Amino acid sequence: MLLHQPQSSIKRPRLARQFAALWWLGDTVGAILFAGCLAAFIASWAVGGLAIQAWWLLAGIGFSGLLRACAQALAGLAGQQAATHAKSALRAHVMAALLPSGQMRGRLIGEDLRVAIDDVEAHEGLIARFQPLRMAAMLSPLIIAAAVALASWFSALILLATLIPFGAGMALAGLAGKAEADRQFLALSRLSGLFVDRVAALPVILAFGAEDRVTRQIGGAARDVAARTMQILKIAFVSSAMMEFFAALSVALVAVYCGFSLLGLLPFPAPEDLSLGEAFFALALAPEFYLGMRRLAAAYHDKQQGQAAERSVAAALDQANRPAPPATAALPDRIGELSIQGLTIRYDDGNSIGPITASWRGPGLHVVTGPTGVGKSSLLHALIGLAPVAAGQIIGGGTPAAAGELLALTGWAGQRPLLLPGTLADNLLLGNNDLAPQELARLTDASGLSALITARGEGLTIDPRGSGLSGGERRRIGLVRAIASARPLLLLDEPTADLDPETAAKVIALLQDTARSRLVIAATHDPALIACATSRMVMA
Amino acid sequence: MIERLLRDATRRQRRSTAIAIGLAMVAALAGVALLALSGWFLTGAAIAGAGGMASVRAFNYLLPSAAIRGLAIARTLSRYGERLFSHRAALFALADLRPTLFARLAGTEPRRALIQSSGDMAARLGSDVDALEDSVVRKVTVPGALAGAGAGLIAASLAGWPATLALLAGLAAMRLASRMLVPRLLAQPRQDHAAALNRLKADYTSYAACSGEIAVYGLGTQVIAALDPHARALDAARGALVRGEVLIQGAQLVLAALSVAGVLALADGGAALVALAALAAAAATENWSTLSRTDMERLRVRDAIIRLESIAMLPARKSDAALPADGGSIALAIDGQSHVVPLGGRLLIAGPSGAGKSRLLGTLIGLRSDAPEGLVVDGQDVRALGLAGLRPLFAYAPQDAGLIAGTVADNLRLARPGITEPEMWAALETACLAETVRNLPEGLAQWLGDNGARLSGGQRKRLALARALLAGKPWLVLDEPSEGLDPDTERALCQRLAAWLDQTGTGLVLVSHRSGLHALARQVVRLLPVSGGHG
Repeated sequence: MLLHQPQSSIKRPRLARQFAALWWLGDTVGAILFAGCLAAFIASWAVGGLAIQAWWLLAGIGFSGLLRACAQALAGLAGQQAATHAKSALRAHVMAALLPSGQMRGRLIGEDLRVAIDDVEAHEGLIARFQPLRMAAMLSPLIIAAAVALASWFSALILLATLIPFGAGMALAGLAGKAEADRQFLALSRLSGLFVDRVAALPVILAFGAEDRVTRQIGGAARDVAARTMQILKIAFVSSAMMEFFAALSVALVAVYCGFSLLGLLPFPAPEDLSLGEAFFALALAPEFYLGMRRLAAAYHDKQQGQAAERSVAAALDQANRPAPPATAALPDRIGELSIQGLTIRYDDGNSIGPITASWRGPGLHVVTGPTGVGKSSLLHALIGLAPVAAGQIIGGGTPAAAGELLALTGWAGQRPLLLPGTLADNLLLGNNDLAPQELARLTDASGLSALITARGEGLTIDPRGSGLSGGERRRIGLVRAIASARPLLLLDEPTADLDPETAAKVIALLQDTARSRLVIAATHDPALIACATSRMVMA
Repeated sequence: MIERLLRDATRRQRRSTAIAIGLAMVAALAGVALLALSGWFLTGAAIAGAGGMASVRAFNYLLPSAAIRGLAIARTLSRYGERLFSHRAALFALADLRPTLFARLAGTEPRRALIQSSGDMAARLGSDVDALEDSVVRKVTVPGALAGAGAGLIAASLAGWPATLALLAGLAAMRLASRMLVPRLLAQPRQDHAAALNRLKADYTSYAACSGEIAVYGLGTQVIAALDPHARALDAARGALVRGEVLIQGAQLVLAALSVAGVLALADGGAALVALAALAAAAATENWSTLSRTDMERLRVRDAIIRLESIAMLPARKSDAALPADGGSIALAIDGQSHVVPLGGRLLIAGPSGAGKSRLLGTLIGLRSDAPEGLVVDGQDVRALGLAGLRPLFAYAPQDAGLIAGTVADNLRLARPGITEPEMWAALETACLAETVRNLPEGLAQWLGDNGARLSGGQRKRLALARALLAGKPWLVLDEPSEGLDPDTERALCQRLAAWLDQTGTGLVLVSHRSGLHALARQVVRLLPVSGGHG
């Protein structure tokens, strides 16, 4: 359902973006009103007849300011609204893809955090500003030219004619700028990250006493970055200079043409008969002709940032969507035997675990042991398709299981259980809302969690960081949730860690009881739990 | 302090800054003059044209029309130059500031500095410096706007002093509005935005650690719903910021239009001069409104400056201990029991995760001071010796490898100055990494990290080990050096390391979960788990 969300809500942002572009065009209308009132005022002043209408014209000038202010404000707000819709749809989409697949991709949580939050935010400028401005920038010169044409068609022609060398020049400057930026890209991307990288590596730099050398290196790199950036800017600024030049040129050309036309001194037959009012109107609008494009150029940074974020989000989604867990038709309520043959897990960074061969018979309580870091958690994740399996196979009930096929059969309790805002009972029932209250009461009793309820009340509310809960309490919430899910396969990561011996004994008894009807596989260091297990597999 | 550092850095760029300011003023003047002169020329031409042949002949059109073309070119060139020189000044000034800030950070007590070096803080520091760079680029907007305003006022004065006063009042009102509205409308949403972003990130981090449960129980929707209030708060704060910004800019537009209307209402004189005054006022007020953008940016930079200030103000580290230790022996006191490791000894520190093994190593080598155990080197407490006294003794390979973005050789060279290539290969050989490096396309010169080769976690650790071997210190301090290794390589590593330790007589302090390297140790101390949850 989440996957469809962006599609269904895409219409609204697009509409809002068009509204934003429309409001930017409203700003152009304000500019035309200003030019019209000013031209009429000057023209009537020149003939000496300033009557009551002058006050109307001045009011018109003031009103044009208000009109432009409102149009720009509405454009900004409509763009922002579009961006907000797009961002929240994208955020939900990205989070839905990234949250369940963290272990699969072997990426650090920090990297996912950057994609799901910072990169989504970086779309704002592109959607709220750049895209509406691009639509407006294509239309506003034409509207200005049309308005100028009402007064002086030849001036409008002059304005339009400047577009030809302008376009050619911009294309050339853009190409040259891109070539230079590409040439410097690798050196710049390496050097410009140096400062942040060295700050992050400060512990080893201090340990080796290398700070003076590194400081000199940072200085050298920073000056190198500055010099290379200047190389790029020298060319990149040609584009904006070109825009400035044609904006200035269009004013100058219109002024000179209209002036000579009014003097009757044009070196060619006068194409039209101009009055001062018409000429002045054309002149006052000339600077507006390139304004839309200048605004667009100013939003170029928004575009770059937004597009970089788009690429980064697409790459992360691509990675996250790799495993498509197939839907299991009918869920068995028992798993007879689960085995793995030559299972090898390999993460993108090259770390690999295995090959591992093992077999677990259900119902029963089985443990996996081995030193920390040997890959016990990865093995549990791999069994349900949440870690990248490079070779080998998983066999459930005699037939090979596809990646993720066991997902819906599994109750899971990890090192740190998920805690959602809500009551304790809500949290315990996340895996199975239909559990009978008596059964839940039995589980809380058996796990020793009822002491928590007695102490803190039934309606005890939970926050995501589990404030006020001990590590052992949090762990047991995850455990009870897994058992309450009523699924035939339970995968538990260190179920008795952080528990005092008395509570651990209670939990072990509960696990033994549960293992009478289900297949329980636990990764553990706990000798007491190992002693009760049907089988023990040692990873090394 | 940071302001002073920045001032010092920009002072070295004063030639570029001066040129940029000069050009910004020329550009603003030329922009105002272009419109004003065009208006005057057009109106004058119309009046002359209406007056018949004689007045046309009397009208000097060559000079103004040439001046208009000249101003168009002058505006373009000066604007280009202004951009170039203001960026040059900012880029090179900040290029000087970066190493200065780094030196402050590296020169203070490690426990203060290392707070800043977590990935997040380092990235924030980088973006704060970038924000400062933007603010230096924007420095020229003020003189530019002032020059434009001056030109506008002079032009308005040609239409009489009441018109001049009208423009002056308009310009003043624009500044007043911006200075009043910016903090009122933007300060609070800016804070709300930062707070909402922090909450969203903190909660996302908590949830993302539970990917197994989210996948198994299909809880993605519920987690996103739980994050929704923070996401909404974030969007609301962004919305409030945008509303504030459009209001501030709208006020500038209204006041600018009223200023032009005011100039026209109070203008006096011929139509050509009135036209000149009106268009000059329009150009000057437009230029002037860019100052409002600078006000908004200043608010943004203020937070960056406050954070950078706290780094610039870091006190310098106490100078070295009175008597440099020579690393003769290490004594650990744990729970009342004392363990003495003689020079050349080999100690394994064992214990479950969370028992504080890495903290103990960090305290031993002077990077931190919070280990509860007693640690004495050469009869002196390590906290008295400090980083300067301890680091000549210990070569450290941290648990996270601590590689820098750079080539293989860059990483190895960090150990000490003057390392030769044969020494590098020998160290890589001992660390069981020579084969890997030989197979890299560019060998020792291979870039690691972004846009370069990616080493696996185990390979990164062995590179860090090779670096520690190269440092030539009396003690080797290794934090989980063999994690992520296959058993064969681990055995080989154990043998080679033992041979190297025998040959060089170097002592070893080792933290390792895995039994593969335990054979290296001659002494073992066990840390007990810190008592965890209560139930």
